[in-house]
Amino acid sequence: MTTNTLVNSKLVCVALNDKAQLAALESTFNEAPYKKPPTQPVLYYKPRNTWNLNGAEIEWAKDFDGNDVPAMVVGASLGVVIGKETCRVSVDEALDYVAGYTIVGDFSLPEESYYRPDIKGKCLDGSAPVGPEIVAADKIANPDALSVCINVNGEQKSVFELANMERSVAELISIISRIMTLQPGEIIAVGFAGERVAVAKGDKVEASIEGVGTLTNTLGGA
Amino acid sequence: MRHARVIFDGRELDIDIDTDVNNRDRITTTDGEVLNVALDSDAITWLPPVKEPGTIFALGINYADHASELAFEPPKEPLIFIKHANCLTGHKQVSYRPDNIDYQHYECELVAVIGKTGKNIKREDALEYVAGYTVCNDFAIRDYLENYYRPNLRVKSRDSLLPMGPWIVDTADIPDANALRLTTTVNGKVTQDGSTKDMIFDVPFVIEYLSKIMTLNPGDMICTGTPHGIVDCQPGDTIVCAIEDICSLETRMVSEQEYYGDKY
Repeated sequence: MTTNTLVNSKLVCVALNDKAQLAALESTFNEAPYKKPPTQPVLYYKPRNTWNLNGAEIEWAKDFDGNDVPAMVVGASLGVVIGKETCRVSVDEALDYVAGYTIVGDFSLPEESYYRPDIKGKCLDGSAPVGPEIVAADKIANPDALSVCINVNGEQKSVFELANMERSVAELISIISRIMTLQPGEIIAVGFAGERVAVAKGDKVEASIEGVGTLTNTLGGA
Repeated sequence: MRHARVIFDGRELDIDIDTDVNNRDRITTTDGEVLNVALDSDAITWLPPVKEPGTIFALGINYADHASELAFEPPKEPLIFIKHANCLTGHKQVSYRPDNIDYQHYECELVAVIGKTGKNIKREDALEYVAGYTVCNDFAIRDYLENYYRPNLRVKSRDSLLPMGPWIVDTADIPDANALRLTTTVNGKVTQDGSTKDMIFDVPFVIEYLSKIMTLNPGDMICTGTPHGIVDCQPGDTIVCAIEDICSLETRMVSEQEYYGDKY
């Protein structure tokens, strides 16, 4: 476990917050096992064994037989860092509870199903680098106007405009704070491009947000 | 030996509880001070028993009979979801019922507390990584279930809805964790009466399974699921989840407004 992580106690991630992805999956989500599209934000945790640092090598995952998995992917999100206890806050006041912003990388197995919690795919050791630093909230005028860019080995692979999120940063903080009281230093990864980026052993992955920085990690196993 | 965390005489204390030759409980602080108080005294405020809670793993549909009750096929591999410390509360504390829902039920569960860091742990070595066992009540709100990462966080990650304790019993004191009677009472009436022998995936299996994916660390917890016999609970109800030879966990239900007070 990384001891000098930027995360305190909890890293909540929001899946399926890309409008284009939701639209593309609409017919799938009307069938079994989903039966109907989600009515609430779809949330998952990256637990403490996953937390990692800017610059760290990301381990290539093993399958249950101890062999290297055939494929891994990466997503990147704006990370919203909570500044004070956040309990049942309204959308209007939600951004007052933000201390700052950072970048969250989510290395995982490919997302094949959203039906069950994806422990096998999402809980890999060291698979959630967070950084490079926390930029103070007052430096970012409108978090929903940012865009998240992923480059692999210098080539741009994904751009996600947060304006295309199904729910805004403030809406998410408000909704999540009615499920759980958030504490200072807890981080919400508010949304990933629906299309995750395939990565290979040895790849250099740079996730960047203008004004927040660039989070750089390299895949291991090469 | 049993281990707990309490507030007593205004002090937050880590305590050990053992029994003397006359079978009387003896409470000692980690500093060696003997506390002259009965375990059922209202002078003790019970805190969640794991001092530095890590990742909480919980199993769904892990008893054959509970699986049939919920009209699911028993799973071929464990259904595991994650919770965090915001859910935890102690023995004789309160849990809340959200407003405007129809069905919230308790889930009495055996909990294994991880005591040692490990990855790729073999089943046969798994109990070396377990510091001890306790009891939890992994409440669920069925109204909020959706088929996305089910059971979703709105159902299973709410404040106060994972009472745990009152204490942790050393692994060595429980020769077979899968031969223990498990009961729940609501307002004194028995509503759940099962046995940990009906667990589908036992603690060693789950430790092997999880540790193939990820490193387990001290303070992580594995809540092993609940058997048949779940009923709706309302504010004012007193729920007692008990597992033979481990402990008995009492919870009082309150309304959302009573729980959140000024923040409501």
